[in-house]
Amino acid sequence: MTTLGDALHASGVSRRAFLKFCTALTSLMALPPGAAPAVAQALATAKRPSVIWLSFQECTGCTESLTRTSAPTLENLILDLVSLDYHHTLQAAAGFAAEEARARAMKEFDGKYLLLVDGSIPTADGGIYGTWGGESFVDILEQSVKGAAAVVAIGSCAAFGGLPKANPNPTGAVPVSALVKGKPVINVPGCPPIAVVMTGVLAHYLTFGKIPELDAQGRPLAFYGETIHDRCYRRPFYDAGKFAKTFDDEGARSGWCLYELGCKGPITHNACATIKWNAGTSFPIQSGHGCLGCSEPDFWDKGSFYKALATTEWGDAKTLGAAAAVGVAAGAAAAYLARKRQERIEKED
Amino acid sequence: MDLLAFARGPGMHWAMIVFAAGILWRVIGVLLLRGRSELSEPRSASQWKGLRLIGLRSWPRKEFLGGTAFGEIMGYTFHIGFLVALFFYLPHILFFEDVAKTVIGVNFRRVFGFDWPYLPGGAIYFFSAVSVAALIAVLVHRIASPVKRMLSNFDDYFSWFVTIAPIATGMLAYSHFAAPYPMMLALHLLSVELLMVWFPFGKLMHAFWMFAARGIQGVEFERKGASL
Amino acid sequence: MSAATGELKRAAGTSPGFACDRQGTRSDDERVAQAMRGFVEDFGRKAALYLESCIHCGMCAESCHFYEVTGDPKYTPVWKLEPLKQAYKREYGPFAPIFRLLNLKRAVSADQLAEWQHLLYDSCTMCGRCSLMCPMGIDIAGLISDARHGMARAGLVPAELREAADRGAAPADFKDRIGRLAAEHRIDIPLDKAKADVLCTISATEIEKYPASIVATAKIMQRLGADWTFRSDGYQANNFGLLAGDAQKQKEASMKLIDAAVACGAKSLILPECGHAYGALRWMGANIYGKPLPFQVLHISEFLAENVRSGKLRLKRLDKSATFHDPCQSSRRGGVIEAPREVLAALGVELKEMFPTRGTNWCCGGGGGVVDIRRADALRHKVFHLKMNQIDDTGAELPVTSCSDCRKTFDDGQTHYRWDKSMNSLLELVADNLAEA
Repeated sequence: MTTLGDALHASGVSRRAFLKFCTALTSLMALPPGAAPAVAQALATAKRPSVIWLSFQECTGCTESLTRTSAPTLENLILDLVSLDYHHTLQAAAGFAAEEARARAMKEFDGKYLLLVDGSIPTADGGIYGTWGGESFVDILEQSVKGAAAVVAIGSCAAFGGLPKANPNPTGAVPVSALVKGKPVINVPGCPPIAVVMTGVLAHYLTFGKIPELDAQGRPLAFYGETIHDRCYRRPFYDAGKFAKTFDDEGARSGWCLYELGCKGPITHNACATIKWNAGTSFPIQSGHGCLGCSEPDFWDKGSFYKALATTEWGDAKTLGAAAAVGVAAGAAAAYLARKRQERIEKED
Repeated sequence: MDLLAFARGPGMHWAMIVFAAGILWRVIGVLLLRGRSELSEPRSASQWKGLRLIGLRSWPRKEFLGGTAFGEIMGYTFHIGFLVALFFYLPHILFFEDVAKTVIGVNFRRVFGFDWPYLPGGAIYFFSAVSVAALIAVLVHRIASPVKRMLSNFDDYFSWFVTIAPIATGMLAYSHFAAPYPMMLALHLLSVELLMVWFPFGKLMHAFWMFAARGIQGVEFERKGASL
Repeated sequence: MSAATGELKRAAGTSPGFACDRQGTRSDDERVAQAMRGFVEDFGRKAALYLESCIHCGMCAESCHFYEVTGDPKYTPVWKLEPLKQAYKREYGPFAPIFRLLNLKRAVSADQLAEWQHLLYDSCTMCGRCSLMCPMGIDIAGLISDARHGMARAGLVPAELREAADRGAAPADFKDRIGRLAAEHRIDIPLDKAKADVLCTISATEIEKYPASIVATAKIMQRLGADWTFRSDGYQANNFGLLAGDAQKQKEASMKLIDAAVACGAKSLILPECGHAYGALRWMGANIYGKPLPFQVLHISEFLAENVRSGKLRLKRLDKSATFHDPCQSSRRGGVIEAPREVLAALGVELKEMFPTRGTNWCCGGGGGVVDIRRADALRHKVFHLKMNQIDDTGAELPVTSCSDCRKTFDDGQTHYRWDKSMNSLLELVADNLAEA
């Protein structure tokens, strides 16, 4: 099984199914329809690449999103297409055997393997808050990156630091991009990311051998180029000024905009509103809950999920009270000085 | 931290602080100055009726209307457009509601048992556009009129700028024009923060002063039976 | 706008061929320091609120007769206050220390004060139309008075006003004049009675130009059978201290009247046909005295109206049409608006009001001391067009007023333009038309 085409054939995937898969991928990656044959050709003849998946400070949610299906899907196909040489949850081996397998793959495919990372990396206190096999995540990442062709930071923790990095960040968690320099890093954020977004990114790399076009946050434009708001089916209600005020009021039941209930759709870049979840079944807003903004950096620290975007994080009553007190004191002092000056002038006359 | 996160976070935090502290500094700094007692016998028994000047002076006497009509009409057009856009757009209302609930503990949005009303985004956009047009008209007038040009200083032009910037960026954000929405929203918030930080120090404080000045002139003149 | 532009602007505010009058030989720095002290003394909550409130809308220009007839932006009323505003922000306002530290507001300079003499004196009658116009409610005219205090302290008052303020009253001359008038008109004019119910006062302009007012006063008081007197120790109600901006001289002049009234136990003090005399005593007198005045203060037109209303004064009916020129200080600023019209009604004239009238009437252009400043004559004559047009438009036969300085301004304007109408004094009209006893 040296090529992807061979591997697919061996797993019983018909040529037709394969072409359907490639057409879907082509459209997913926002390529022109005419590129589908090229995608098919490239995939069929591509060598099965080695993929090493490192799991650091993560909840395994990204893997769940990727693998939790009830029927064979694109997601599964990709995992069959690649040679997943290391993955804590999915691998059969454990302990030293697993580490040896990783070391072997890194040596054999040196310079060519794809490094996938989920979870953030703790750096506080010498990195002792995350270790396996006696090594810190920091060190493991550093070693693994050396021979990698590219790095994909899967999920918001790896891409931006995620939950571990949220205030007060006791472990000193940092995203992958903070520690990896000199290698291309693709951020695929989301908490978790949409399954087919993850596989689409991989497929792009497999097809073209290079990373897709990224935005300023290192996210593939094909999936993160637009905001939820711009593709949200409830947008007409936003424009018309029809907002649900509670989760169970008439507006909520009529499917009105969830802005007032804290939806962060306007500032969140992801594909949820178009590709949706669970093979296009639904997405949070469609289910009646506002977007959490989970594919944006520091979304845990941007105020309550249930407070409208417009409320901002302006502060609290205590701070404002202190500011008011300072103002009053300064004003009183200014008036006092002015009056003293007047008295002095009048006395001198 | 990206620009939007800054604008929504520390930017707004410090703008609120400077806004509150600055306004109180200026207002208290004036109100605690020396007052003078009036010892003359009043002509009118109720000098406090003179407070009606606060409303009365909102429109000039017809004898003065000739040369002042443009300024008055443009001024009102701007203010009405701006105030509608500010107070009748839901995202703004939610912000004020949050501040009021946090600081005073009262939900001012629910007044008299119903929620503060709001207009659809398109209507707000219209009022904003009218407001911007009026602002441009008054700037042109300020530069073209010899009287206003002579009187004008940095405060006049900068206050104009910090006033038009939030409205213009708001319109651009709403219409997803000029920059992607999150960036435009960041610019809108930053322009609002600039307005807040400048507010206590320039002529925008007339929002407070006008009531006080009209009030004291009204009371003093009513007392004398002088013309209001 | 940069500081340099500000400097250019201020230079543009000068009047070509205009020289600033200076008193004494103080250095420029000394003058500025004195001016600042004068300003700061006046600052208080009220002045501060007004000076904070200006939004540079320029609408006050539209109400000012000097701007109206010249179109020159430097006559914008609030611009006349610029040094005062600058001084306030830099020396007294809530952010004053910051303004000084970062030099965000330039210190008022001697040159600036010299330029501003023309704006504060020659081209402002403190008529108050601007205060009535200002959308923010700023009493610009009142602040002009404050600004003049600084100028007076700095020794930068127009020569004529300074000289008049220093000269003050001349009791001996007054006694002499009273004696001759009494003899000439065969009428009793009480002077220096020890006790009297009513103390009457007169203005210098009336003594110089309209002595018939003194006789008219006597005639009317006699007809009313009033217990009244003039007092040589307190007779001159006009106040050049007020006009010049010399607070000390203003106080001295007012105190003379108050002391004389107290001395003779007067229940009422009648102010003559004068505008600023009314404001000086009726509204400012008690504050100067330090407590409420122990007597009633009335403008002569108020006194006449009271007696006409009660029937004590009966007048002949004049078969003529008339129009009333409201003296700014007694009418718009002072509140004596309807009283003269009551008297005119009693005289039976057909009252044809000019437009605008009452509170918004145009100033004659001579008040506030302007009629006494020679170099301001040309400007004042330009303003007079407004009054001539107003009165001509009414078609009334008799222009009437109740202020001798307005009268003086009208007479001078009439001569200058060979106008076919003469101004009349309400007081003299009444005295000349008393019904048969």
